[in-house]
Amino acid sequence: MIEFKGVSVTYPGAKEPALADVNITFQKGEFVCVLGRSGAGKSTFIRCINGLQPVSEGYVKWEDKTLSEMTHKETLEVRRKTGMIFQHFNLIPRMSVVQNILTGLFGYKKSYENLLGLFKSSDRLQALEAIDQVELTVEPTRRVEKLSGGQKQRVAIARALVQNPKVFLGDEPVASLDPGTADRIFQLLKKTHVKRNLVSIINVHDVILAKKFATRIIALKDGKLVFDGTPEEFDDKVYADIYNHSS
Amino acid sequence: MVWFKRSQFLILLCLSLLVIGSMKLTEFDLSKFRDFQNMGDFLSKWFPMNTESLPFLFQESLLTIAIAFLGSLFGLIIALPLSFMAARNTSRNRFVYSVTRFLLSFLRSVPEFVFGLILLTTLGLGPFPAVIAIIFHNIGVLGKLISELIESADKGPMEAMLAVGARKWIGNLFAVLPQIWPNVLSQFFYRFEVAIRTSLILGLIGGGGIGQQLFIHFKTFQYQLVSVDVLLIMIMVIMVDYIGSKIREKVI
Repeated sequence: MIEFKGVSVTYPGAKEPALADVNITFQKGEFVCVLGRSGAGKSTFIRCINGLQPVSEGYVKWEDKTLSEMTHKETLEVRRKTGMIFQHFNLIPRMSVVQNILTGLFGYKKSYENLLGLFKSSDRLQALEAIDQVELTVEPTRRVEKLSGGQKQRVAIARALVQNPKVFLGDEPVASLDPGTADRIFQLLKKTHVKRNLVSIINVHDVILAKKFATRIIALKDGKLVFDGTPEEFDDKVYADIYNHSS
Repeated sequence: MVWFKRSQFLILLCLSLLVIGSMKLTEFDLSKFRDFQNMGDFLSKWFPMNTESLPFLFQESLLTIAIAFLGSLFGLIIALPLSFMAARNTSRNRFVYSVTRFLLSFLRSVPEFVFGLILLTTLGLGPFPAVIAIIFHNIGVLGKLISELIESADKGPMEAMLAVGARKWIGNLFAVLPQIWPNVLSQFFYRFEVAIRTSLILGLIGGGGIGQQLFIHFKTFQYQLVSVDVLLIMIMVIMVDYIGSKIREKVI
């Protein structure tokens, strides 16, 4: 469904590539955790999937078309089909829970509808259903900056859910949460993943979480793909290879 | 001296030289306050206040507020989209960024008084050219200030809006505006306050309002009316400041 072929990314002014010759394919139903040390290229990798980060070499293919071949409209469509959650939630401050969730529909609406907030009652209903699905027990009209970290991430997941995504991307979505909340957020992601039969690709630092929830683990080191296997295959030796200093 | 670097002493030296040079140029001399008595004598002529014309002056004050309000509000409405074009992180491209920045700098560099003088030739005397002059200058000032707020906004929400498939300008608008809105309001009310003072100056060139009355009363030595004008101006400025802070409190 998603294919990386010889993908390299080099940031302007950088000597070394952030991603180097990555080749990998993801299929529907896979719950993939991406491991690696800070700076290994995990965020760059995730951002290449929905085109937030353009590739320097190679290509990322969705079904039968590469992102670079797509028109602007097609790229927006890919993003619309991709729910993405972030470490710092990236919610819009001073807006309510339900308003934030409704921004997930921006890709489906015309600009003037977004600008004027012309959402149908079915859209609002969809947002309220998403609140239920992520088991958020706060007032939908509450401003997001008044929520806890875990609640904010649930709002972010609900925003991704109303997109009706085919792919779920997570850029260290639990890195700023306590271990208990992190586990609950992962349970929620997995439940949603199974229910909607998605492709989920999630960056994570916590190996225990990755081994508990992932159906496939991949690992990056210095921008290179150094491991691709099942959670069972990710043993202490692999762990040491990935996380030990290379010097 | 762990807090200071050698370069900071050099900066301090340069600053001191600048202060001394500026004081020389401006004949800055506190000893001139020896003749403080003259000011006292002059101010004593301001009282008792002549309140007979208060209803008329009140009406003129309302006109001043209207000039300042329209000048600031329309300035803000026009400056907002321009500021997105003049911010590095939201501008469409380098060309649009540079052109908009130049336009804002130009509008900012021309004082309202000069705009007023130029507009007089087309629009004639009255409050309308004053409003337009304030709008022009406010576009320059607010556009620059808001573009700097946009540049320092958290880019996380912008990325999230791109990730949901929103068009870039819609994403930028929704991700940035709520973040900067309280500061935009602060800037607006500050500019409103400044516009009240500016409209006084524009009164000198026939812009109308309390400024024009102040100018007339001053020229005709009606100091007991000048004191009423000054009091009304002070009330207006304090009122705008108070209302602005209340609205901002509510918004935050």
